[in-house]
Amino acid sequence: MSNSVSHPGMVRQCGSLDHSLIPPCQTACPLHMDIREYVDLVAQGKTMEALQIIRGGNPFPSICAYVCTHPCEESCRRGQVDNPVSIRALKRFAVEFGGDRMVQAEAETTQPEKVAIVGSGPAGLACAYYLRRRGYPVTVFEAHSAIGGMLRVGIPQYRLPREVLDVEVKRLIQMGVEIRTETRVVLLDLLFELGYKAIFLTIGAHQSLRLGITGDESPGVIDGATFLREVNLGLKPSLGRKVAVVGGGNVAIDAARTAARLGARTVRILYRRSRTEMPADPGEIEQALAEGVRIKYLVAPTKIRREDRHLVVTSVRIKLGEPDASGRSRPVPVDGSEYEERYDVLITAIGQAPQAPGDFNVRIGKGSTIQVDPVTLTTNRNGVFAGGDAVTGPATVTEALAAGRLAAYRIDDYLRHRYPTGTATRQILPGDLKVETVEAIKKLERRIPEVLTPQERKKAFEPVELVYDWETAVAEARRCLRCGVGAEILSQERCATCLTCLRVCPYHVPYLDGKGDIQIPADQCQACGICVAECPARVIVLRSLADRRSIDEELEHVLGGMAGSKVKPPILGFCCQYGLYGTGALARLWRETGAGTWIVPVLCVAKVESEHILRAFEKGAEGVFIAGCGEQCSRENTAFYVNQRATRVRKVLQAISLEPERLQTFFPNEQDLAAEMDRFTEAVGGYYLASVMAKEVKQ
Amino acid sequence: MIVAEQKPLEEIRSMIAAYGRVLLLGCGTCVTVCNAGGEREVSFLRHALQLAHMKNGDGSHEFSEFTLKRQCDPEFLALLSGRTEEVDAVLSLACGIGVQAMAEHFPDLPVLPAVNTTFLGVADGQGAWDERCSACGECHLEDTGGICPVTRCTKGILNGPCAGTKNGKCEASKEMDCAWVAIYQRLERLGQLDRMSRYHPPRNFQVVPRPRRIVVRTAPGSGEENG
Repeated sequence: MSNSVSHPGMVRQCGSLDHSLIPPCQTACPLHMDIREYVDLVAQGKTMEALQIIRGGNPFPSICAYVCTHPCEESCRRGQVDNPVSIRALKRFAVEFGGDRMVQAEAETTQPEKVAIVGSGPAGLACAYYLRRRGYPVTVFEAHSAIGGMLRVGIPQYRLPREVLDVEVKRLIQMGVEIRTETRVVLLDLLFELGYKAIFLTIGAHQSLRLGITGDESPGVIDGATFLREVNLGLKPSLGRKVAVVGGGNVAIDAARTAARLGARTVRILYRRSRTEMPADPGEIEQALAEGVRIKYLVAPTKIRREDRHLVVTSVRIKLGEPDASGRSRPVPVDGSEYEERYDVLITAIGQAPQAPGDFNVRIGKGSTIQVDPVTLTTNRNGVFAGGDAVTGPATVTEALAAGRLAAYRIDDYLRHRYPTGTATRQILPGDLKVETVEAIKKLERRIPEVLTPQERKKAFEPVELVYDWETAVAEARRCLRCGVGAEILSQERCATCLTCLRVCPYHVPYLDGKGDIQIPADQCQACGICVAECPARVIVLRSLADRRSIDEELEHVLGGMAGSKVKPPILGFCCQYGLYGTGALARLWRETGAGTWIVPVLCVAKVESEHILRAFEKGAEGVFIAGCGEQCSRENTAFYVNQRATRVRKVLQAISLEPERLQTFFPNEQDLAAEMDRFTEAVGGYYLASVMAKEVKQ
Repeated sequence: MIVAEQKPLEEIRSMIAAYGRVLLLGCGTCVTVCNAGGEREVSFLRHALQLAHMKNGDGSHEFSEFTLKRQCDPEFLALLSGRTEEVDAVLSLACGIGVQAMAEHFPDLPVLPAVNTTFLGVADGQGAWDERCSACGECHLEDTGGICPVTRCTKGILNGPCAGTKNGKCEASKEMDCAWVAIYQRLERLGQLDRMSRYHPPRNFQVVPRPRRIVVRTAPGSGEENG
């Protein structure tokens, strides 16, 4: 038995719980950002709303927009269809176009306990941000002259423009974070004596590992971290003509590209494994190669000798052996393959480690990292917490931000004498797309933001990657599969097992299980909404509460406005919000159609049910149109079902002597939309006039 | 499955014209499956009727809606208590069985059919149905390769095909397959062509006393024995 509509408002009683699942991108993100949501908002052209979502999950989105290593993209299931969604580039777009620079941050002090943060890298700044938001007075201590840690002294400017960092720092100061530069903390007890009740150690991992070969301390050998720090703090180390960089990580790439920008004639990276094992970001490797950096794989220096103002580097060729503990093949030197090369400067970038002063008296573990409890982030000392590279060894900016946020929450727990509480309530979406699902999904080319030409890049430290233009960003965002917000059967009890969903699904997702019940697996559903609008028992709903209610609510809202308006004849349009259609072309059209046209924004017209259309007429619309995005649509068969529903409603109109032409569907690419719309509004005006006159005659 | 189709809006409107408060009652079984009278159709019809009355302004109606899992069993109908008292008529979107069960259960309430109960049939993909069974009460599908000549042969003959078959189609309509050609092909596949030569005596066209009744189990004290 089913309990259906309680009143003409059509807001259905269909459970109040949000059953959306956490998509793989969000699971992969160290900050667990609501990527699906903000990408969807970008697809609608709602950049400010997208930024709001982004800021909700990330203290410094503008920084991540430049430097995040985007593990989300590696797990993006669009990658199983063609290529992952360019999530980081979309975030950059939302940050730039959403007006992130204008965002004001304010915080009030509501707690008495002062917190000291030692180190101003991403972890420290994130911790400061969240502690301020929770009302604590915060002081950040930084040994260098400038704030930002690795963001300032490690990452080259062409990857993170310094004004971006400065904006974030300014915002922190606006929030009331006290910042002390050129203040090296040597004793933690001193901080406690100064009245700080908790300390967050986030001193980074700035100590480069040595090659450990003869001559690795010769003049002309410099470590990558120091080299980048010097350049980033404004020094110009002289490099000579020929530079070698040893290593295969992001620091090695950064050092090589920086050297190229400083005028080195040849820059060669020496890496002991092959390209596949190289831990650096593939995109960065590509860009480095385009800038003329050369990479020599399967070589390792064994000896360095200083000879008339040059370095003579002896290297040995390597072959790859069995996989080691890290899962990568172990490099094995090939006997007798030694050869010599001359360089002016050799930069080592084979890894970095933290270096905590012994006087901190914190327990140090493997790789000189500070040991903490993984849940509470507490060290062996009471009130002393640690996080970031100092704890994990060199990691990513986003991981550091996540550590900083976690530390803020745990410090808050500690100061408020609370046990840490878990927050996860939603389920994680499991599984990969099945082959038949993948086959049915429309393939859409990945749009990559444009980059400066290699020639332009080598001249300066300008950011290499350009931001998307509006059109490209929207097109890219529409590639998102919206994993985990698909359809679900609200109650098997009410399901008539009519198989409609199974037959209408363009992706072959619903199936009959062994018991003869219909199942709609969440990990395959593409959330197009066709089955929701077709289900004869109205028992299929969308998993997300917002999706479930949006059309009903928007429609009632618009109908309310329409009822109060004197402009006749009222025309109501259900309009796709995706793509340029909702934001550009159609927005202009709405204005042109003038007053009297009421728009119900919908996230795909496939979700507009026949009853919605009837209701619009019932509440006084003289004409109704449905405007989808046509061939731009990233889903299948949407126009087909909309047209089918329209045909049925037209039959009703005809049966009650209304012109069926009062209902129109528009899918651009087939039609000259503006002209069609004009014709439509004109026709509706005519019908309206005729009906008014007929009524007057009757009276 | 019972297949029905919704009546034209005009017919429904004239049917309910005399009643002010009307309950639209859907059925969650066969008519839901055949898109004629499930919860969505109830809602669709209600909106269509409301629109019609809004535009044509003939009399005033007040509609309510509800969908039962089945209208053909009195136990389900008992769940309607509280909903039927305040209406002047029930517009049932169930098949003819449901409408009658309702009428029987609510002797003082007019129960009106919103659908035409059409046949017993099978779905042909999404949104199309074909008749398959006439409920004649004398099933001989074992002899006809699982294809019912009573329903699918226009003449309903038991010893076919007739002389009107041409290229596998029926003389009554070039669109329609000849059921007896289909039976022949099927029996050939099964290696049972000998069944084609079997003679079936003419069907009993005498009027079968109706309504028919089947008793499979009896309840204690019902005064009826197993049939």
